[in-house]
Amino acid sequence: MFKRVIIGTGFLTTGLLCYQYGRTRPHSSFIPPDMFPSGSTTSLPKISPPVYANDSQFHQAINKLKDILKEDQIKDSKVEIEYHTRNEFTPHEPGANDKPRVVVYPHSTEEVSQIMKILNDYKVPVVPFSGGTSLEGHFFSTRQGVVLDTSKMNKILAVNYDDLDVVVQAGVNWVKLNESLKPDNLMIGSDCGPDGLISGMINTNASGINASKYGAMISNVINLTVVLPDGTIIKTKQRPRKTSSGYSLTHLFIGSEGTLGIVTEATLKLHPIPKFETVIVGQFPSLLDSTNTVSQIYRNGIHPNAIELLDADMMHCINYSGYFSKEWDEVPTLYFKIGGLTPTMVEEQVKVLKDISLKNNCTNFIKAKDKEEAEELFSARKNAFYAILNYGKNEINEDVRLWVTDIAVPLSKLSPVLNEINTMIRKSGLQSIILAHAGDANFHCDVFYRESEKEKCEALINEMMDLGLANEGTSSGEHGIGNGKRNFLVKELGQDTVDFMRRIKLAVDPNRIMNPDKIFKIDPEDDGPY
Amino acid sequence: MFRLVRRLGPLKPTTLLKSRFYSGAQPKPPNTDILIKSLIFTAGSIVGGYLYSSEVQQSTKSTLPIDQVTSPEYANKEQLAQAIEAVKKVFRKNTPDYDESLIINSSQEDKDSHSDTYFNSYHPEPNEEPQYVIYPRSTEEVSEVLKICNKYKVPVVPITGKSSLEGHFINTRRGVCIDISLMDEVIELNQQDLDIKVQAGLGWETLADYLSEYNLLFPIDPGPGASIGGICANNASGTNASRYGECYKNVLSLTVVLADGTIIKTKNRPRKSSAGYNLNSLFIGSEGTLGIITEATLKLYVKPKIERVAVVPFKSIQDAANSVNSYLLNGMQLNAIELLDDKMMSCINASGETSRKWTEAPTLFLKIGGSNDKVVQSTVDQVKTLSSQHNSIDFQFARNDEETEELWSARKVALWSTINQGRVTDPSIKLWTTDAAVPISKLPQFLEETKEDIANNGLENTLVAHIGDGNAHSFILYKPDQYKLAEKVVDNMVRRAIAYEGTCTGEHGVGLGKRQFLLEEVGGDAVDLMRNIKLHLDPSRILNPDKIFQIDPKESRSH
Repeated sequence: MFKRVIIGTGFLTTGLLCYQYGRTRPHSSFIPPDMFPSGSTTSLPKISPPVYANDSQFHQAINKLKDILKEDQIKDSKVEIEYHTRNEFTPHEPGANDKPRVVVYPHSTEEVSQIMKILNDYKVPVVPFSGGTSLEGHFFSTRQGVVLDTSKMNKILAVNYDDLDVVVQAGVNWVKLNESLKPDNLMIGSDCGPDGLISGMINTNASGINASKYGAMISNVINLTVVLPDGTIIKTKQRPRKTSSGYSLTHLFIGSEGTLGIVTEATLKLHPIPKFETVIVGQFPSLLDSTNTVSQIYRNGIHPNAIELLDADMMHCINYSGYFSKEWDEVPTLYFKIGGLTPTMVEEQVKVLKDISLKNNCTNFIKAKDKEEAEELFSARKNAFYAILNYGKNEINEDVRLWVTDIAVPLSKLSPVLNEINTMIRKSGLQSIILAHAGDANFHCDVFYRESEKEKCEALINEMMDLGLANEGTSSGEHGIGNGKRNFLVKELGQDTVDFMRRIKLAVDPNRIMNPDKIFKIDPEDDGPY
Repeated sequence: MFRLVRRLGPLKPTTLLKSRFYSGAQPKPPNTDILIKSLIFTAGSIVGGYLYSSEVQQSTKSTLPIDQVTSPEYANKEQLAQAIEAVKKVFRKNTPDYDESLIINSSQEDKDSHSDTYFNSYHPEPNEEPQYVIYPRSTEEVSEVLKICNKYKVPVVPITGKSSLEGHFINTRRGVCIDISLMDEVIELNQQDLDIKVQAGLGWETLADYLSEYNLLFPIDPGPGASIGGICANNASGTNASRYGECYKNVLSLTVVLADGTIIKTKNRPRKSSAGYNLNSLFIGSEGTLGIITEATLKLYVKPKIERVAVVPFKSIQDAANSVNSYLLNGMQLNAIELLDDKMMSCINASGETSRKWTEAPTLFLKIGGSNDKVVQSTVDQVKTLSSQHNSIDFQFARNDEETEELWSARKVALWSTINQGRVTDPSIKLWTTDAAVPISKLPQFLEETKEDIANNGLENTLVAHIGDGNAHSFILYKPDQYKLAEKVVDNMVRRAIAYEGTCTGEHGVGLGKRQFLLEEVGGDAVDLMRNIKLHLDPSRILNPDKIFQIDPKESRSH
């Protein structure tokens, strides 16, 4: 008996001592040199595969979620799962098992934080989801965990007219936000596909037609509220128009595609809607003439509110759609929006624009007579996507699909790159159209393909991507990398830069639960080709 | 322990041994008595270790509080000497006609000039100076030097123009200074793409001269002497920011040498990109704590064909601010929107540094640009109308280039006329340049309260504001024995800005002087996230130690 007590006491004492000793260790040496890979980057082969929750841990986590969420906030019906698995525009399909197991709908930042604490504790993979309009597999559930859908967090919290900013929950739809701001003659700077939500736009640094004037999302955000992977809530800044206070966390999260945290609130810059604005259409015999026009316009100090380029194939689709009574020349066409404080200011810019266009062989220069005509003219650009689909379905195949690319290059390289792409496409026998935000030299070459032509199309797209990168371009101007372009990011910026990104990711999300496998690989056993 | 290892990399044999040692398992063979004891010991260890390891799970956190970090260990004298020897070897190899003093300098003069300036608000302790100043001449040399410094754990303070104000380049750890001012070349100008690639040691004024030949403009215009590297590292701006934005909006790509010497390029050269993490903005504003910026590709703009200046005095700051708000809400794009307060205006009058006398009232200085006279005139008319609706007292407008320069001269001499005026009363007078920004609607109240507080404390001050961005600088004059008093009113000003949803620094950065305020501004968790990022990217903590936030729990400065 006595012996047992001694053994027991010894057992407890040594245990306690070891426990206490161990406790002090991480505090007394944060970075034991042989444990922490020294250096500033983390290469993939040097890390072990992530270990996520097993079935029983997953269920425990879900049960804990049920304690804090209402019934209608946790869903796993077939419809919900399917909706959060894919969309019809992503060219790379998700894997057969790449499906979420549960979808949760938080209503507040605090709820997101509580959810993340639980999921981080149990190492459950989380895919943040908002509008579901991304194109590169950004929200694929490659690890079959939870999808955290922020679309119910859609309140406008405050409009500060005198500061020209608006505070929103990140699930607000940008079109609806602009509608509610319109009576006050205000708008946000960024735009994208109509169904995009603010959080998704932030996460992909989205932009669109307005970017040549107002910049991409990165130029239009004042602060963010973010829930980190471990549930910590941070607000990146207060509400000053500019700041130099410490690391720019706001901008670190913009474009991070949900791999570093969940954006729950944002303060966005507002811009007054241009008082006077007109639309100009210029048609040019060649791509080079059109891009020369753009660069000379900038050189003359004119900054149109939009500069969009539609190529000959796109103009053919528009004619085909019969949307206009007028038949357009099927040549490269520029659409401009010119704004100003007074009609005089608009007129003065149009004069210069016309002058430059004609010098660059513009064959058809049309200025909208009034607001209606302006809207009608620009609708060709706005409805381009529908015109494309309409043409493809009628002329190619009922089940035709569209592979959307998103390359940006320096402006001087735009026309040589587009010309070369046209040659590639002709050689391939596929059909395509090109739409470009010419002011930013960001273009979408959208290629039609039938299921049987997928491989051919894929090879063509890859060739195009390489061409863009060889011309000092980027693999994504506004859509993001997602799951479909990871290899091109490495080609674009080099292995070291991507290894540096990976180290940031591992620092902020040590369990690798946040949107795994997006932007770059986080698992040495991941053998995905892209 | 094991989880920690997993998180960071594969186990190495040494680690395994160590972790076993931590758990206390030291089995010693034979002798049954000892065997039993050691069994007890081992069992206890396993349980203790298990409990401990479940506790270690906490380090799967996204942030890193200061109390979870130990003090960094840096090179001792001997290691520093070894490191310097290694650096010399690199330079000798790279330079045929090697003149050591030009490349590695340890003269007192050089040490002093790399420790402090008159304008710094926050000064080094007597022993805080670099042991050596190293002048690399290429990205590759910076990389080789950093590899060596990282190996020997030599603290490194990167320096360019030395025009920062918050003790950004104080050598708190007595390491080396890497001065990249010899790297000042223009690498490539792409006129058609409106961008330029330069080395980071290039001064912005030199760049401006170079570009004006092409009628082009890089819009960041901070204080004189600043270089591109420092501008990027502080996200600097100036009078042009209300039109063109701060530094981060005007950089396309950076070449950066990381703490371990790895060279990375953040982006290619497209105008916009959504490819991966936004590393440009991570380095911009990081004050040399994450890497050394050696090259930058910058956005350029075409100089306005015609640019005129309007000077508009108002009855009150509130009226001036309301007027600015009406310009912005009407969608006017003015090239600069600056406010000088009544004291600043009387100071300029007293200094006699400009050719005309000014109304001594809060005054807006506006730059109005356009492609021709008609466009400019059209904007001027609108500005005039809106201003008079907000109680402007006067409206002076330059009709030609000469008058434009004359009117703007008042804004240009603001800082020096304040110092000169101060020196009239006391030749040893000091100047504290403050920097805070608030949402524009809060600016008038913020400024009025700040002016009142400074005056109540008996200190002379003048004020200029980049009012279009809500960013203000009070120039506070104080005698050397009034440092504490000056510090108090500055602290009040910064805290007031934070209380008004603003920031402790609009464009100067945090350095050493504002670390406490950063904490108050964004909160402990956000700073802990910054620290976590820093310690992962610079595990030996060699890059500009102690700046922006604390990296050493034992270090205790007042700021």
